[in-house]
Amino acid sequence: MALVRGCNFPDDLYYNVDDNVWARHESDGTIVVGMTTYSCALSGEIVAWTAKKVGRVVDQNKSTGTVESGKWVGPVKAPVSGEIAAINEAAVAVPSTINADPYGAGWLVRMKPYDWAGESSSLLTGLAAAEAFEAKMQTEGFPGCA
Amino acid sequence: MDKTWRVIDTGLRPAAENIALNRALLEARQAGEIPNTLRFLRFRPSALLGYHQSAEQELDLDYCRANNIAVQRRITGGGAIYFDETQVGWELYLTKEILGCADMEQIARRICVAAARGISALGVEARYRPRNDIEVEGKKISGTGGAFEGNALMYQGTLLLRFDVEKMLRVLRIPAEKLSDKAISSARERVTNLADLLDQVPDLEVVKAALTEAFAREFGVSFVPGNLAAAELARYQDALAEIDHPDWVNLIDLPAADMPILQASRKFPGGLLRVSLAFDARAGRIRQVWFSGDFFVSPKRAVVDLEAVLRNVQLDGLEEIIRSFFARQQADLLMLTPDDFAAVIRQALG
Repeated sequence: MALVRGCNFPDDLYYNVDDNVWARHESDGTIVVGMTTYSCALSGEIVAWTAKKVGRVVDQNKSTGTVESGKWVGPVKAPVSGEIAAINEAAVAVPSTINADPYGAGWLVRMKPYDWAGESSSLLTGLAAAEAFEAKMQTEGFPGCA
Repeated sequence: MDKTWRVIDTGLRPAAENIALNRALLEARQAGEIPNTLRFLRFRPSALLGYHQSAEQELDLDYCRANNIAVQRRITGGGAIYFDETQVGWELYLTKEILGCADMEQIARRICVAAARGISALGVEARYRPRNDIEVEGKKISGTGGAFEGNALMYQGTLLLRFDVEKMLRVLRIPAEKLSDKAISSARERVTNLADLLDQVPDLEVVKAALTEAFAREFGVSFVPGNLAAAELARYQDALAEIDHPDWVNLIDLPAADMPILQASRKFPGGLLRVSLAFDARAGRIRQVWFSGDFFVSPKRAVVDLEAVLRNVQLDGLEEIIRSFFARQQADLLMLTPDDFAAVIRQALG
């Protein structure tokens, strides 16, 4: 696990650093999508999460749903293209779960990716991801995860 | 960095058009089609929901229908508001780079502090109250909220020039006894407007100039008047088709029964404390709280500040939030204790 300015980035995940999201590729071919610890730190306490409906097709870097924190509303982008296969209803019911455990219980949607092999090459992992997050935090003047 | 930003005024419009312009300008800023922009706007009578709110839960829909009040959903968060010709809206469309910061709370604070300076230039003492209000003497004069899309963000606020409190109480399903004298006077303790504060309401152009100047100073830029660009108008037509539609307004559709208005009162050694609150039973969150009763707190505004802190909070942390609020605040409660406020809320929740 990489630790960047106190924010953790598990090694088994694929990251879109610009959009601050992760994907985990599961053995059944689906992916699980969520926000990073860094994204949660920037947002503050999340008070609402509304996902697109199951069955909806989402292009890469387009919105899988919308989060709200401190009156800010914004999209959570899809790391790769695919169909929404499931929504984490526990995070819908108690959105602060997302802050509490962004890589575990606070996952957001499960997707059936259309071209994981092709599109995942645009995502970063391991050291490359850690370096890119460090650069992003530098640009954004981020002091660190608490 | 470009030191010249654009300022536009899109005039008095129906809510659907204004919200569609929010979407269009935010997308256009993200796509790099427009410069950083300050927009002023006004609304025909409208009830505006926060993005994640349900009309059934927040509004008196029969009253809105009977009185020609449009119901719309914002693209920003926060609570429902009543917006009409007596208010002016201000909005900034920026990229995160120019802020040098991506922390959403800090961005909101910086913009609100600047807006408060602009409002203060009109002759009142306006201040930012976390997380999203601008207040004068503890009373809200401007509510704000934001939306982001990639590296672009839009942050918007209202400014109450005059205000019809009674209408607000009718439109919004808020935790107050409707239209009783008590409710109206208690609303007047919580919201204010320039007409109540100044001998004369400044001309709209003066208000716009004060806000523009404040943002220019804060960001070290100058503003040049402009108009909507072709790219924005194209995006606006697409956005309007989506937003001027029941599917958008009903995007979140939850029954009013899931958000009951609960009340309780209790006599403590420090006095009678009454509470009225909107409780989101599904999420286990307090949405909004109003305290009243017969008790002594000095300064009086501490109660309203506490209400601001208790907006949209999870029930678990209630006692702790109230205790730490009073630990920070230099308030004199006489015999009343922080736990009394929590206790009466717990009583209302049953």
